[in-house]
Amino acid sequence: MNSIEEKLWNYIDGSCTAEEQQAIAILIAKDEVYMRKYHELLKLNEEFTSMELDEPSMAFTYNVMETIRTQHAQQPLKAAINKHIILGITIFFIVTITSLVMFVLSSVNWHTADTSITIPDQLNINHVTNFFTGPVIKGFLFFDVVMGLFLLDTYLRRKSVLKHE
Amino acid sequence: MQSKLSDIELIEQTLGGNQSAYADLIKRHQRFVFTLAMRFAKGREDAEEIAQDCFIKAYRSLASFQRQSKFSTWLYSIVYTTAMTFLRKKRVDTSSIDDEDTFIQIENKPSSYDENNVENKSRSYYLNQAIGQLLPDDATIITMFYKGEQSLEEIAQVLGIEANTVKVKLFRARQRLKEKLERNLKHEVKELI
Repeated sequence: MNSIEEKLWNYIDGSCTAEEQQAIAILIAKDEVYMRKYHELLKLNEEFTSMELDEPSMAFTYNVMETIRTQHAQQPLKAAINKHIILGITIFFIVTITSLVMFVLSSVNWHTADTSITIPDQLNINHVTNFFTGPVIKGFLFFDVVMGLFLLDTYLRRKSVLKHE
Repeated sequence: MQSKLSDIELIEQTLGGNQSAYADLIKRHQRFVFTLAMRFAKGREDAEEIAQDCFIKAYRSLASFQRQSKFSTWLYSIVYTTAMTFLRKKRVDTSSIDDEDTFIQIENKPSSYDENNVENKSRSYYLNQAIGQLLPDDATIITMFYKGEQSLEEIAQVLGIEANTVKVKLFRARQRLKEKLERNLKHEVKELI
């Protein structure tokens, strides 16, 4: 059962059905308790409606727009290193590691008591050294330098944004 | 001077690269967003930080705004989430937020009794003081209902609860606000006597 106040608030807000609205209107007209409470709540409602909003500082809009502009300036760099590249690198490493694990597991002789893993000829150290030729090492080092510069750039930009804030 | 364009038109212009349209959008909503932030933060500096953060987040996600609700409703959901995160962070540093007295706005309290000041205080001062003493959820619901031009359904959308629950919460919040208002006014009358 709703209290008088709850019924009256619903009446004031207009959040009850038409029938309820009519029934409450009759109660307000006939019952003095309802009438007194209704006028009290109506006055309170007017007061709540006239509540004043707080005002932020004069520079509020400027500050927000400045932050947005700073972030916009960084946009081209973000676009160059997009998520697809990171995803591609992740997939490459996952596939490489998975293939290696599968290859090792498949080379184990599970039927014998001796569980030692025999390294296949392909992984012989003499063969591996053939892969590290001059151009490959140079390419790898160049990639490292680019990555290093990118990280340094990101770090310096973040530092500069923090400084501005 | 603020633009006469609708929120949606300003959003479209912003998405088209016109940043000044977003500045107009901020000017239009900043007072309400800041007031809402004040319901959680109490201090002006923290409230301004929350409000700024909200507008930046809204700008970043503007393209994902579906336009199925009013922009204000969408923006207030961001304010509510950001303010709740702020409150959770604060909870780690300070005492429990369940203690209602924690939220008594110290800044709003008169530092010392001054007869002239008391006489000059308006009803809106007492109303703001009483709202400052409410729990953030109560103060938010009352502010959104009376000043945010939000229906019960829209408030429910912002808070992530049922519209009927909002109705009950609004009723309780109004009761608490009425009690606080009466208590504060009684206190001031006593001081005058």
